[in-house]
Amino acid sequence: MMSWIIFSPEFYFLMAGTAFLGLSMARRVRPEQVYFIALILASVGVGVCLACVRLTGDLFLGTYRVDLFSQVFKVMLSMGLFLVVCLCTELDGIEERLHPEFYFLLNICTLSMMMLVSSVHLLTIFVALELSSYSLYTLVFLRKGRDRGIDAGIKYFLIGASASAMMLFGFALLYGSIQTAYLVEILKILPGVIHQPVTIIALILLLSGFFFKLAVFPFHFWAPDVYESAANQVTTYIATASKVAAIAILMRIVALGGGGSTYLVHVLVTLSIVSMTIGNLAAVVQKDLKRLLAYSSIAHAGYVLIGILSMNPDGYAGAIFYALSLLMMKFTCFLVVVKVADDGRNLDIEHLAGLHRRSPILAMALMLSLFGLAGIPPTIGFTGKLLIFTAAMQKGYFTLVLIAMINVVISLYYYLLVVKAAYLLIPGKELPDLKISPSIKVLAGLLILGMVGGGIFPNYIIELSKAAAIVLL
Amino acid sequence: MHMAYADFPYLSSILFSCVGGLLIILFIPEDKKDIIKWVSAVCSGITLLISVYLFFAYDKTQGGLQFVEKVQWIPSLGITYFNGADGFGLPMLLLTGIVFFTGVLTMWELQIRVKEFFALIFLLVTGVFGLFMSMDLFFIFIWYDVSLFPMYLLIAVWGSTRKEYAAMKLTLYLLAGSALILPAIIYLVVKSGFNTFDLVALMHPGTFSPFEQKFAFLLLYIGFGILAGVWPFHTWSPVGHVAAPTAVSMIHAGVLMKIGAFGVLRVAIFLCPEGWQYWAHLMALLAVVGIVYGVFVGLSQTDLKFVIGYSSVSHMGIVGLGLATVTVEGLNGAVFQMFAHGVMTALFFSSVGYIYDRTHTKTIAELGGLSRIMPVATGYFIVAALTGIGVPCLASFWAELTVFISSFKVYPVYGTLAVCALVVSALFILRVVQQTCYGPKNERFAHLEDVSFKLGIPRMILVSIIVFFGLFPNVMMDMIQTASIPFVNGLP
Repeated sequence: MMSWIIFSPEFYFLMAGTAFLGLSMARRVRPEQVYFIALILASVGVGVCLACVRLTGDLFLGTYRVDLFSQVFKVMLSMGLFLVVCLCTELDGIEERLHPEFYFLLNICTLSMMMLVSSVHLLTIFVALELSSYSLYTLVFLRKGRDRGIDAGIKYFLIGASASAMMLFGFALLYGSIQTAYLVEILKILPGVIHQPVTIIALILLLSGFFFKLAVFPFHFWAPDVYESAANQVTTYIATASKVAAIAILMRIVALGGGGSTYLVHVLVTLSIVSMTIGNLAAVVQKDLKRLLAYSSIAHAGYVLIGILSMNPDGYAGAIFYALSLLMMKFTCFLVVVKVADDGRNLDIEHLAGLHRRSPILAMALMLSLFGLAGIPPTIGFTGKLLIFTAAMQKGYFTLVLIAMINVVISLYYYLLVVKAAYLLIPGKELPDLKISPSIKVLAGLLILGMVGGGIFPNYIIELSKAAAIVLL
Repeated sequence: MHMAYADFPYLSSILFSCVGGLLIILFIPEDKKDIIKWVSAVCSGITLLISVYLFFAYDKTQGGLQFVEKVQWIPSLGITYFNGADGFGLPMLLLTGIVFFTGVLTMWELQIRVKEFFALIFLLVTGVFGLFMSMDLFFIFIWYDVSLFPMYLLIAVWGSTRKEYAAMKLTLYLLAGSALILPAIIYLVVKSGFNTFDLVALMHPGTFSPFEQKFAFLLLYIGFGILAGVWPFHTWSPVGHVAAPTAVSMIHAGVLMKIGAFGVLRVAIFLCPEGWQYWAHLMALLAVVGIVYGVFVGLSQTDLKFVIGYSSVSHMGIVGLGLATVTVEGLNGAVFQMFAHGVMTALFFSSVGYIYDRTHTKTIAELGGLSRIMPVATGYFIVAALTGIGVPCLASFWAELTVFISSFKVYPVYGTLAVCALVVSALFILRVVQQTCYGPKNERFAHLEDVSFKLGIPRMILVSIIVFFGLFPNVMMDMIQTASIPFVNGLP
């Protein structure tokens, strides 16, 4: 009986999902009621995950592991869900009758990502990954005004399906060469056979599935279209929670290699450099804020890879820290997108004009989050970059760090364009002040505090990330 | 290095009064402009008082690092909150206090977006103060960036003349600098094997191999050099100075460019002395090219602020030349020149700002005969111009003299070139003075008022400081020597 307590976060979100499945069949539920229920369930969910953070144990014949690493990520995922639900007061991008389904899919997706970060067997990984992908495909389809959502949804689905196919092929190769599907066993055998071509090919194919999730080159094509076409809240979820899960599982898999293979490192270095360069260069010319954020996500996937490919405890700790900082910073950007585009439309950068008058606190939150994304101190984004770069430098990847820093400068250009729009552009016609509820103001204030506080006093989070990273090895 | 811990956190209280001022301003309603200005004046005044106190309370017979404060910050990364003041840092702290206080007073007439302006200025100055007092590489980098990114908004919102272009160019250039500094810092920290960002610990001789020093020095020198306006990375600086509003130009040219030179000294030269000696010739070459180039480009400018902007490039070249000599006199002159040039440029921009606010033009040809209309305002301008030329009894004279004497010993050719350039610079500055202040009175501006006593206060402070250090240069020299003599004598 005792052992099932460690499964409680997953169980909780399964129940929450089921509740919304029930609600979707009930008639005459007002959207506000659904929202209210979702908010309460999500906030309790964060509590449940926090309560379980120190639990450890194995489940399902050793295919499922609960440890500090997975629990830290579960807390982040539940926080991501909670934050996204906070944004759903004006869920205008999705038809009202579909709101319960929306929350159902959101909860199920969170559940599957939680399972993903705990999976230590190739099959559980695959099942969890597909479950989360299918929830996301459907969420993208839900956008009002059918063509847009469907167009992007199909693209997302096709690229996702082919990435899954490659991943399955990688699984098969890996299993064929080392005869086990348990990550624990693989961890013991793999460093010995890492120099065999088949193992390397298997690993790279296997990683494709996660590269797709994280939008790493060459699986990044879906990101701009999906970000642009999905409902704002869904995009927020994809940009925050799903990225966090992808970073987690990528770390688990790369950690398997034990740092033995130079080929694998070379592949990862190349992908990292190409991702950040493509992402940053393409972002420079974007007009739509969501597309811009999509390209910046691609670039950030490149930075995260630097931490992962360093394959030392500091690198993994840096990547965990970076995941948390990305969650906060990206969410803050989308908070502004959702609130400024209050009818659920897409937002051009120039529509931010006059934001500093219409809502000073949102403008400030936006500026800090963008500076954070650019990695300017004293924000949490800088600390994340510092950790990652230090880890890479310990491995002697000086050129990689230098290229990343040059990319940071490029990225600053387009982040500054957004800041300029919010602080300098004068709107063509006089726009009224944004109506922002006190709770959102408090949320924005907390995010500002979190982003600056995490930059100035990061000690606790760093210690936690290090403890979580050690579990991984 | 001798270290004396502080009995009272003087250095942190400078930071606290900046951050405190920032927070107070954030909670004052937008329309209470006078209260915001008074809060700014009081808080900046406190920083000035503390920095003056520290300057004179420093025990010169002991030397070394004094008023030290040390708190563990991120133990797992070896990051400490480590502040201290030595003979290099104190003149810079004093300079920042002076320029900050007078800059706030200079902007007393500001009416547009007052709250945001002063909030950003406080943020910027927090970074500047922090950098001059910090002895931890992590914090030095943090303060460097904190002092940079408010510049974007300060120039883009309140500036003039292609302000958005200038703001973007400045920010990207300076952050490109930080893109070189951060890898270099991490490289040094990782190579040392100490797992600490503590500058004093890393300074231990033999920590870095000659190759590591040469490599890291070059990155740090270029990275910080961009901010110091080293030729050919200077192009952001005249454009930025011209576009910025008066107080920002003052802080920017007066203090911010010194951050670059100070960074070269504090980080690059302190950590990589062998790299310094290896690259000294290149530094001298770039510095002299900057001096000559600044003067000749300045000759052909028609905009008053561009003239000052290019003269800044030239004067910062003198700082670079001093640093490149690898001698005690060179370091003394360089640091003194940083201080003197800071005060002088602040006065320059402050007086030009006044003229521009009244006449709404910075074009030299349109001005003329101003000394008949506003004699006091032009008086301040002329004092600044004379300081720029290096007239004896004004602060810059001693600084430039020291640098030139030492550079004659080490690089005779460059020294001669630099002195010749200085003669030409006298020509171009006097030409500007003659065309704007003398000649026939321009009737368009005849109705304009002269500087009132109240508005003149910041300029008077600046003038008196220039004259004081012109008459008593030893006050400054003795201070700098407490740091430069032990440092140069301790070189391998």
